[in-house]
Amino acid sequence: MFDLINPTKVFYLIEKLISFINSIFFILLLIALSFALIFSPPDYLQGDSVRIMYVHVPSAWISLASFTCIALFSIINFIFKTKNLILITKSIAPIGLMFTCLAIVTGSLWGQPTWGTWWEWDARLTSMVILALFYIAFIVSHKLILQEDKANKVSSIIVIIGLINIPIIKYSVDWWNTLHQPASIKLTGSSAIHSSMLMPLLLMFFVMLLYCALIFLMKYKIEIIRIKKKNLKRL
Amino acid sequence: MIQNLVLMGGYGLFVWASFLITFIVCALVFFKTLKTLKKYEREFIKEVNELSAEKRKFVLEKSTVASQVLSSYSKTI
Repeated sequence: MFDLINPTKVFYLIEKLISFINSIFFILLLIALSFALIFSPPDYLQGDSVRIMYVHVPSAWISLASFTCIALFSIINFIFKTKNLILITKSIAPIGLMFTCLAIVTGSLWGQPTWGTWWEWDARLTSMVILALFYIAFIVSHKLILQEDKANKVSSIIVIIGLINIPIIKYSVDWWNTLHQPASIKLTGSSAIHSSMLMPLLLMFFVMLLYCALIFLMKYKIEIIRIKKKNLKRL
Repeated sequence: MIQNLVLMGGYGLFVWASFLITFIVCALVFFKTLKTLKKYEREFIKEVNELSAEKRKFVLEKSTVASQVLSSYSKTI
C-alpha cells in the first residue's frame, strides 16, 4: 500500500498535478472571491463583517485537518516505519502553521467589530494558539535535531501529544462558555447556515484546499530532491 | 456599487484587511516555496553535471527522479 506514495513513483504525477492546479486555480479563485465579496448576502445581525468568515473558517478547517493528518501519519510511521510519511508530514506542517496563524489573525479582525475586542483568552482562541505552538514545535524539532531518526521520533511524539488538542478545539465552544459562536456547519444534522452563504464558503474552502495541494506538492518535491541530493553524495 | 463594495457597510477595514492579509501571506509562501524548489533543482542538476560521465549515466539510468528533474528543469529555462 505504501508503495503508492513511493517518491520515485509519484514524482512524475507531482509535476502533472502542479501544472493542472496552476491551470485552474486563478479562475476558481476569481469565482470564489466574487461570491464571497459581492454575490453573497450580508448577515442580518453582523452585516458585511460576516464576509470575514469566507477566509477565517476555511483557514481554521485546514489548520485542524492538517494537524490531524500529520498526527495520523506519525502514528502510522511509528508502527510501520515508512520514511515517505515523514516527508509528507514535513511538507504539510508549514502549510498547517500558516493557516493556523491566518485563522487567528482573521478571527481577531472579525472579533473586533463583532465582540468589541481583538483578543480574549477564551477556550477556542487559546486552544488555537496552543495548536500553533505544536506546529512550531514540530517544525523546530526537525530543524534543530540533526540526527534524522531522533528528529522523527521527537516530532512524532510532539504531534501525537498535540492530537489531544484537536477535540478540545472542536468542542471548546460546547464544553465552556466562550465568546466564540458554536459550529454553524455540522457533518451530521442540519447546518445553521443558509445555502447563499454555505455555497461561497465551500467554494472558498475548495480554492484554499487547491492552494494547499499546490504548496504541499512543491514542498514534497523539494524533500524528494533533498534526499536524492544526499544519495548523490554517497556515490 | 463600488462604494458599497469598498465600505462594506462600515466594516470595510476589517473585511478587506482579512482578505488582503490572507492573499499576501498565501502569495509570499507560494513564491518562497517556488524559489526554494528552483534553487534545489538548480543545485541538484549542477551536482549531477559535476559527476563523472560514467556515474552520471548510472544516475540518469537508475534514478527516474534525476532524469525527470533534468528534463522538467530544461523545459522551464
